[in-house]
Order: sequence, then C-alpha cells, then structure tokens
Amino acid sequence: MSDIANALRDLKEDEVKKLVDQRLAAGDTPVSLLAELNQGMVAVGELFSEKKYFISQLIFSAEILKNVMAKLEPLLQAGPQTESKGKVVIGTVKGDIHDIGKNIVAALLKGAGFEVIDLGVDVPGEKFIQAVKDSGAKVLGMSALLNFTYPEMKTVVESLAAAGLRDTVKVMIGGAPCNEQVRAFTGADYYAADAVAGVNICQQIYA
Amino acid sequence: MPNVDLQELFNQRLGRYQAAIAMDPLDRMPVACGSNYFAEVYSGNTNQQTIYDPAKWLEAEMTFIRDFPEVDVLRNSRIYAPMFDAINCLTYRLPGRDLPARTQFQFVEQEYMKADEYDQLIENPSLYVINTWLPRIMGELAEPGSARATMALIKAGMTQMQTGEIMRTRGIRLQNECGMPQPMAGFFLAPFDAIADAMRGLTATMMDMYRQPEKLKRACDAMVDEMVNLALSTGDPFRRYPIFVPTHKPMFLSPEQFDEFYWPSFKAVLQKLNQAGYAVRAYLEGDWGQHWKHLLELPKGSVLCDIDSQGDIFKALDELGHHQCLAGGVADSVLILGTPQEMREQVKRLCEAAGKDKRLLINGGCNIPYDTKPENYRAMLDAIMEFGQYDSSLKPAPRPEGIVPFQSAPARKVFTSWETRKAEWGGVQGDEQLIREPWERFEAMAYAFIWQWVL
Repeated sequence: MSDIANALRDLKEDEVKKLVDQRLAAGDTPVSLLAELNQGMVAVGELFSEKKYFISQLIFSAEILKNVMAKLEPLLQAGPQTESKGKVVIGTVKGDIHDIGKNIVAALLKGAGFEVIDLGVDVPGEKFIQAVKDSGAKVLGMSALLNFTYPEMKTVVESLAAAGLRDTVKVMIGGAPCNEQVRAFTGADYYAADAVAGVNICQQIYA
Repeated sequence: MPNVDLQELFNQRLGRYQAAIAMDPLDRMPVACGSNYFAEVYSGNTNQQTIYDPAKWLEAEMTFIRDFPEVDVLRNSRIYAPMFDAINCLTYRLPGRDLPARTQFQFVEQEYMKADEYDQLIENPSLYVINTWLPRIMGELAEPGSARATMALIKAGMTQMQTGEIMRTRGIRLQNECGMPQPMAGFFLAPFDAIADAMRGLTATMMDMYRQPEKLKRACDAMVDEMVNLALSTGDPFRRYPIFVPTHKPMFLSPEQFDEFYWPSFKAVLQKLNQAGYAVRAYLEGDWGQHWKHLLELPKGSVLCDIDSQGDIFKALDELGHHQCLAGGVADSVLILGTPQEMREQVKRLCEAAGKDKRLLINGGCNIPYDTKPENYRAMLDAIMEFGQYDSSLKPAPRPEGIVPFQSAPARKVFTSWETRKAEWGGVQGDEQLIREPWERFEAMAYAFIWQWVL
C-alpha cells in the first residue's frame, strides 16, 4: 500500500492532507490518488471487520476522505471520467428520520468507489422505486433505527415487484432493529449486520 | 379491590423489583421493563394522545395493568409535549406535530455547540448553556431578550410545573388505584453523552476525540456535577426508585476511546449517586460487549443494566450477571414478528442461563416496542411465571425509604444564590428561613429546567 493509503488507514488526518498536496504538486493525477485513498478505506474496513477498529474510526476515516475529496473532486471533474464500481440507491425508510448508520454506509460505499444515490431520511416507497428505475442501480439499501419500520420495508420490496423491478435489483436492509428474522419478513435479499458488511454485499453483487 | 390489598400489592411489586436490583433473594423474577412503549398504545391511544393528553395517558396505563397484572413496574412516556412546544424544542420531532400521530417521537442531532466553544463550556457550564446553547435548541429563544423569548420562558416554567404535577398525580393514582410502582424516577446523562447528543452531535464529537481530545475530556469532567445535580433534582426523594440514564454513544467507541473519554466522568457520576443512596437504571444501548466489564467497578447491585438487542445477553450474564442485575434478552423482532412458541422458548433459555444466582429482568432491548403483538407479550409473561419462580416462601417488601440520610446528598446547584439575593436586598427583616427556602427551591427547579434539555 502507498503512503497515502497507510496514512488514511492509520487515521492520520494531517498526514493524509499533506501527502495529497505534495503528490498533486508533484504532478500525480487525481485519479491515481483516488485509487490510493480507496485502498486506504478498504484497509479501514478490514480493520473494522477484525474488530480492531470501531464505528468511531469508520466515521473519522470517512470524514478525512470527505475533506480530501472536496479538494480532489473539482480536479476529477475536469479530467477524464472514471468508471464507478456501480450504483447503489440508499435511504432511511419512511417514518424514520435517523441517518447516522445510513451516512456511514454511504460514505464507505463512496470510499470504495461506488456511485451512491442517497435519498436521505423518511424516504417514501415510491421514491425508492423511482430512484431504482431512473438509475438502473443493482442494489437498493434500506436503513432503519426504529422497529416500526418492518412493514414499510416489506411494502417497498413488494412495490418493487409490482413495478416489475424485483429481478433487476437486490435489496439490502440494515440498522439496529434488523436481523435475519426481519430480512425474511420483509423479503429483502440481504441483511447487513454492519456498515462494512453492507459494502461487502455491494462488492459481491457487482462482482 | 379494597385499598389495603392494593397497598400490599404495591409493596410486593416494589420489594420484588428492589430486591432484584440489589441482587437479593427473590420469590420470582420481576416483570420490570423500563420503557414499555407497547403499554402506551395497547389501549388504542395514538402516540400523540399520550404526550398531549395526560388523562388518556393514565387511562392507557390502567387498561394495560388490568390486562397484564403480572407486571411489577410500569412506565412508558416521559414527555408532556406542551412543554416542548412552549419553547419549540428543536432536538425532538413529536407525533401529531412534526410526525404522524401514530409514530414514536424522535431525537434529532445537530452541531448546536461549535468546535471552538469548549473553553466556555468548561469555564462555566450553566452560563454557557443559558447564554449560548439554549437559544440554539429552543426555537422560541432565537432572539434572547425579545418579548417573544420572554413569554416563551414564562410559559415554559408553567408547563414544567404542570409536567411535575402530571407525573406526581400519575404516580399516586397508579399506586393507589392499581398498586403499581415505577421502574425509575429522575434522569441524567453520562457527561460524554450530554455533550455528544444535544450539543456537538455524533460526528463532530468523533472528530473532537482526534482533534481536541484534552478539551473534550475536560468538558466531560466539568459536566459531572451538573449531571449529578440533574439526577438528584429529578430523582425520587424517598429513593424507592433507581434514577434513569440512557447511554447513547458507547456503541460507537473503541474500548480504548471508551476508557479514555467516556468512562471516567460517567463513573464519577454513578459513584456520587451511589453515595447519595440511589440505584441507577442504565440503558446500555447498542452493543456494550467491549465496555460492560467496567460496571464491575461499582458496588454490587447498584446499577441495573439494560442490555440492548445488539448486545449478547448470555455473554452479559456470564461477565456481569453475578454483580449487577440485568434486563433484556428478547429481540424487537421476536416481540413484533415472532410467535408465542418462539417467545416461550427464548424465556426458558434466559431463565436457565440466569439460574438462581444471577438477577435478570426479561425484557426487550431497553424497551417493549410499540408494535409488539399482544399474544407475544402475553406469552412472555406466562413463560416468566412458569420458568422464573425462585423461592415462594419469600414475601417481597420494600426497603426502608431514604436509607442514606438526605443530608449526605450534595447541595443542589443554583444560579443566583440566596446570599447574592439577600445581599442585593441589603438583608431581610423577618424570618430569613421563610424567604430562603422557597427562593432556593425555585432556583433549584429552574436550574434543573435548563439542564433537562440535554436529554
């Protein structure tokens, strides 16, 4: 791994900023830097899976990345377009306005190179369906903190079928009240036990 | 039923609950959820009615107690919404107001305290809260000193008195008419949560742990006495009930971060409350598996720990169950989506794991969900009655009230002390105590008012 990837993995915020500035000044392309940052984020995810990192460290890594991206994004847009790993529609389901978990997953997905269509919180079913239709995303992620959302998640899955989209998209659920029993009830394809598991599921679907 | 039976029933229920918390011998496992949301809507009430109509709220509880008499303690809501409306509290979304009438209330985090304001908070927490933080979380105080802001504060004080009256009436009527005690009275937050929930917000606090760790730690230390004061101001003066503390941020922290940032100031608060004669009921929200070993550092039977659905109740029983009473063990999904048979099997497993030496209150993860199926709840109670029997020769009775002399509690915090007031008057002419006592009482109430909004 490069020094940038290592610094991001080790959550050295100032070091990451400094290295990115140096490498840009030295003429490195933003695309190559982005690839290294992605590597760093993958390493953070691995440490989380090994229970060496915890959610606070996921949040901090995402924050470091966000700040660096603010610098890289205008440069990236000016240069040749890169292929994303795939599109993921994500949101917190209707009635629930909590976004911590959803935001962590969205940040990690972006860090891993996915294009994320983040619909926000309290997302009505029809908005999920429309976004899946418009984007052609192969993954729909529904997040919830509150347990009254089980029927709503089930309704969204049924609406996807009614709209003829069920075979084109995999549905993933996650959040505190979710488990395998809830997945089975809602008819979703996957239950992500944590944010990194969610990213891994997306990798698998787009592999 | 004649009153004497209800008093006896009240005593048995309270005694059973207190014995469980203290790790004492039991006749049977208490049914003692802390937040029974299911009870709030079981009678058919909307969530809005519970928080806006105290009569409907009480009626709902009485209906619930009639149908589930095995329950030993009951509390559901803690919010009287008109108080939140009077100041337009921005940290909550409420059913019937910002949310559909049948949805539960929700907390909204924002960065209400800025990254460079730690020194002000550390220097004088209550001054910072009054001058800077309250005007940001109270919509009606957007222009401090304006007529509208002044009116809002007057109304807020009135609604606070009314809230106290509603809670008192409710407690007395549940005691006298249903023989039903409370699972807890009063509340506070861990200092870290007080900062990270309603002041800085999660993401900003996570950044602070890396960018300004010393300031965050000093701010937590500065909050210790404020949280002790809030707990003592709102707790049961007779010390019958534990004081409630929900914990929100440990689930995000590494063990090292918990040890460095969260635990020292939280432990200090818990110790002070213990010294003042109070037990605490702590909701260990999320997965505390990496952190709960610290509860062994506090006296045995001093903190009732609710283990959330993300935590492993069997591991908690192994590691903590011999020292503190635990609550939990039934996932939300089992209550909402499961079957009575599934429930019975889970309760049996839990009772076997707890055995006779550990204290477990079988419960959902820190609450009984709104959408619980009545037949699953019934199955839970039936199974507790079947598998949770210990020693029928024991007759549960409450512990003596206020075991620790009241004087040993720390003095209540005030903003304008009696000495200041008296000096500005140039002394008083008559019986000083007659003036001082109510002055200090209302000061202490107002002080608690400004701090309660961290929750």
